[in-house]
Amino acid sequence: MTTKTIVQSPRVIWTTRIIGLLALVGTGLTVWLGLWVTPPDQTQGDLVRLVYIHPGVAWVALYLAFGLAAGCSLLYLWPRTRSLFWDRLAAASVEVGVVFNVCTLISGSIWGKPTWGVWWAWDARLTSTAVLLVLFLGYLALRRVPAEPEVRARRSAFAALFAVVDVPIVHFSVVWWKTLHQGATVLNANLSPTIHGSMAWTLLLGFVALTLAFVWMLLVRYRIGALEDYLGSGELDMALLERQSEGVVPPAPDLKAEALAPVDDAGAAPGPRAPAEVTR
Amino acid sequence: MRYVISGYTVVLAILFLYGVQLVWRRRRLNRLVADVEGSRTPDRPQTGIG
Repeated sequence: MTTKTIVQSPRVIWTTRIIGLLALVGTGLTVWLGLWVTPPDQTQGDLVRLVYIHPGVAWVALYLAFGLAAGCSLLYLWPRTRSLFWDRLAAASVEVGVVFNVCTLISGSIWGKPTWGVWWAWDARLTSTAVLLVLFLGYLALRRVPAEPEVRARRSAFAALFAVVDVPIVHFSVVWWKTLHQGATVLNANLSPTIHGSMAWTLLLGFVALTLAFVWMLLVRYRIGALEDYLGSGELDMALLERQSEGVVPPAPDLKAEALAPVDDAGAAPGPRAPAEVTR
Repeated sequence: MRYVISGYTVVLAILFLYGVQLVWRRRRLNRLVADVEGSRTPDRPQTGIG
């Protein structure tokens, strides 16, 4: 199946739309339940309402997005499953994961100020999460380095596998070190916590809604990557195509011949390179 | 409660704006693909180069 077939398949497009709609509805319900329906906590009062989004965005960023990126990178490096499809999916997952990671740090900081008295502390959980963000920003920067698609895919896969080593460090940081950040609570068998029914359901709904939001973003971002590859993805090509679509540059009669031709005296830029057919 | 509202606002705003940006990028690329494919059709004037 070609990339073009994947990105233009009506089935994929409709699935993406339905997931997006479900994510919107789920997020709206979570906000409504979290802010107005669920009761305040005995200890934290209204601040507990942040629990309906903060662990959800952290789950998506740390485990889902970066875990998926690592899995896809492994599949790319494995000779029998090597395909640019996995590379593109890993790149999409990392980009979306970075956005969720930023949300995790910001929402955690906003929660930390009234509970710990500080916006930020060099606590093991917070620091390792910030390091994770930097590592995956490095991954995205590495992808911007010009290279052949296969070379870029291979080096990105190694970078993702290197960066994902930090995920278990983030997870176990609250066990290995004394931290301001609390350890696992709801799923901690030793604590056997009791949680109000509406709070438990809202927490679960928040996880589901944010997971759906991630899946929607992943599908759209994958589609963008596939379209960029289809168009040749070169910055010059993209800029020229954009100018052409805006009518600044007239469309070239033959795309291949004039791809690298110099700008003539009249200032007319060369036409875009023919888009490469990238197959899975 | 202002911390709670701030937390929800910031997180939802970031996710919403990122989503809007994704849709905008996808639409722009869709237009470019349509443009390129349109320029490949035979009804366009051909110079015979290449």
